[in-house]
Amino acid sequence: MRSLNLYRTAVGAVAALLLAACAPGGNSEAGPAPSKPVSTGVGSEPATLRLLVNSGVDVPFYTALGELFHAKYGNVTVKVDNQDYATLTTNVAHILAGSTAPDIVRVSQLGNLIEDHLLTNLDPYAKAYGWDKWPQSQFASTRVGPDGKQRGTGSLYAVGPGFGLTGVYYNKALAQRIGMSRPPATAAEFDELLGKAKNAGLQPIMINGKDGGSVYPLQNLVMSSAAAAQAVQDWNYAKPGATINTPATVNGATVLQRWGRSGYLPADVNDIDQTRAPREFLDGNGVFFPSGNWQAPGLDKSGAGKFGFFLFPPGQAGGPSYAMTAAANLGIAAKSSHADVAAAFLDFIQTNIQARQDTVTLGGLVPAGPADAPPPTAAAGSAVAATVGAFQELLKSNGLVGFMADATASIHVNSLIPQTQLLLAGKTTPAAYAAKVQSDYERDLRR
Amino acid sequence: MTDVLLRQRSEDPVAPRDVVRRSARRTRNWAALVWVAPAFGMYALFVLYPMLQSIQYSFYDWDGIGPAKPAGLDNWKAIFTQPELLHSVEHAFILIVFYSVLPVGLGLVAAALIRELRPGAFSTTARVMLFIPQVLPLVAAGIAWTWMYSSDGLVNQVLRAVGLERHTRAWLGDFTFALPAVGVIGVWVMLGFCTVLLLAGIGKIEPELYEAARLDGAGRVHEFLAVTLPGLRRELVVCTTFTVIAALASFDVIQISTQGGPGYQTMVPGVEIYRLTFLQQHVGQASALAVFLAALVLVIIWPIQRLGRER
Repeated sequence: MRSLNLYRTAVGAVAALLLAACAPGGNSEAGPAPSKPVSTGVGSEPATLRLLVNSGVDVPFYTALGELFHAKYGNVTVKVDNQDYATLTTNVAHILAGSTAPDIVRVSQLGNLIEDHLLTNLDPYAKAYGWDKWPQSQFASTRVGPDGKQRGTGSLYAVGPGFGLTGVYYNKALAQRIGMSRPPATAAEFDELLGKAKNAGLQPIMINGKDGGSVYPLQNLVMSSAAAAQAVQDWNYAKPGATINTPATVNGATVLQRWGRSGYLPADVNDIDQTRAPREFLDGNGVFFPSGNWQAPGLDKSGAGKFGFFLFPPGQAGGPSYAMTAAANLGIAAKSSHADVAAAFLDFIQTNIQARQDTVTLGGLVPAGPADAPPPTAAAGSAVAATVGAFQELLKSNGLVGFMADATASIHVNSLIPQTQLLLAGKTTPAAYAAKVQSDYERDLRR
Repeated sequence: MTDVLLRQRSEDPVAPRDVVRRSARRTRNWAALVWVAPAFGMYALFVLYPMLQSIQYSFYDWDGIGPAKPAGLDNWKAIFTQPELLHSVEHAFILIVFYSVLPVGLGLVAAALIRELRPGAFSTTARVMLFIPQVLPLVAAGIAWTWMYSSDGLVNQVLRAVGLERHTRAWLGDFTFALPAVGVIGVWVMLGFCTVLLLAGIGKIEPELYEAARLDGAGRVHEFLAVTLPGLRRELVVCTTFTVIAALASFDVIQISTQGGPGYQTMVPGVEIYRLTFLQQHVGQASALAVFLAALVLVIIWPIQRLGRER
């Protein structure tokens, strides 16, 4: 009796709650606030600009940029706070929605930030500062359409000091042993070099399959098919109707699976993570190491002049090269009371010569900015210099494509990593791979 | 609790004379409620309310910030139709073998053996060694074991040293062995907890019982079955309950050592819920899975608790 009554009460309470309570969440159907007139000045009032960035290399880098800014505008103090990458990525929406939102925040993924009106629309500033006259491909990934989801079109919501860039590092001594006198001109030539390395008893490729490094060569292989790069970019930007379930993806996956089977990838590829892979490569285990420019300062430090870098070769000789890129993006909180000062800071870090040099040396990134800005300097023959050079080339030829890993918030951990692991273990087929990634993508976008 | 209720009821058989006493008890009960109110208020606010909220969220499509759309039963259907979500639940059940069955079984053996040891340096050392894993944060355990399991880690070094070279592998990257390998971490962590709890329980068994068993000519095995095991009923229930919950709700070790990989081989509901909430911002789907997991834990724990209560 008693327990039955209790049960009735509980069920009643739950039902009442479900029926009567209004839906969770705020009411943000109101749409974006009308844009206020913007100013390019920082005024003379003392102001403190609060930055929230990732822990680690971001902290000394943005602190240095803040000091440069303060030196120029004495009334503005820049205060840098940090949270580790995973925490910030997962909490950024709540931080921006809260009452103590910082002025500028490092946004790794835009997610629902635009849909929920948490970032300031930067279009008026782009016009006021003339960013709209610069090469526009550098801003594509942070433009968001009116639906709050499609990127590469619409209004600008974040800009940053510089870009990450991927390609292939090679061990110069080992490359010489397999007779590589210049970087391969085509993907097929690269394939041949891998075979030669294998025959010479060397580990052809070092890569981290545990946390997604093996997705880089896969995306490059996909993009080496004719006209596939644009399709990948559309997919990354959630363009309506975009699909990755294409013959190019199936081909790319087939080649990567063959590389795994032929021993071109390490036998325990699925157990190698991003801290172990560069260590193994530095130790001479691996002729090639597909990775990004964030590795360059470390490689130069441990083995100056021993490692080279080339962009993943195109499908056809003389065809366009493509590289994956991601900007280190900063957005201005919609709640910021110093939006004009924050915008002045964003303009400063993209244009100031010393700030651009710091971007390379402290941030490990390549700055973009105006077409006529002088490229930062780096020691000749170093891996850093090679990445800076490659980036300038790609910026001009529009060869920068976003990471498939950034297409949706979870496509990387929930689909690309496990599916690529299954692919390399021979537990899924290239066709099933392409279909599964596409269906997960559609689910993520709620299409 | 039930015991109390039962006793109250058996005292109750309505005697006409105590109408007065009854009303007195009523007043006492109200007074008791006042005393309970602050604690209950906290409990309701921080436990019951969020629980009901989770149930409510599970019927919505919500990103945690913006407006929510009613989703009917979609989130619930997904648990049973999306293979990854269903598999994660299966993995949690496999982990019960490692987190619960093995530690409780081995813990019983270890406790019975340690009981026989004369108190002294050796028995203390044995206890401390078995208990140390319980003191370490699970994250630290996860990292340490990840190193041990790596291609050139301790496990493979030992295998090589004893000539089992061809059985070496990257354990956490192997599709067949990743889940058992993660399970072994669970055995290692849980064994100490079970052993210490069971040892304490053995200490409470009256020595006369052992003496009587000996006099009746029982051997060690008999003694264990007839005296130790029945005497440990309550401790066994606590051990099993605790470890089964740890298995079904496991998160830290997996998140640190495999992140659910290779493929989806070690994905568990805990990691899935975390990702759904914080990475995918599918708060509704995450809530549905969380509520389902909580219900599952209750359904499994309930018979275990019943078993402990009998007699």
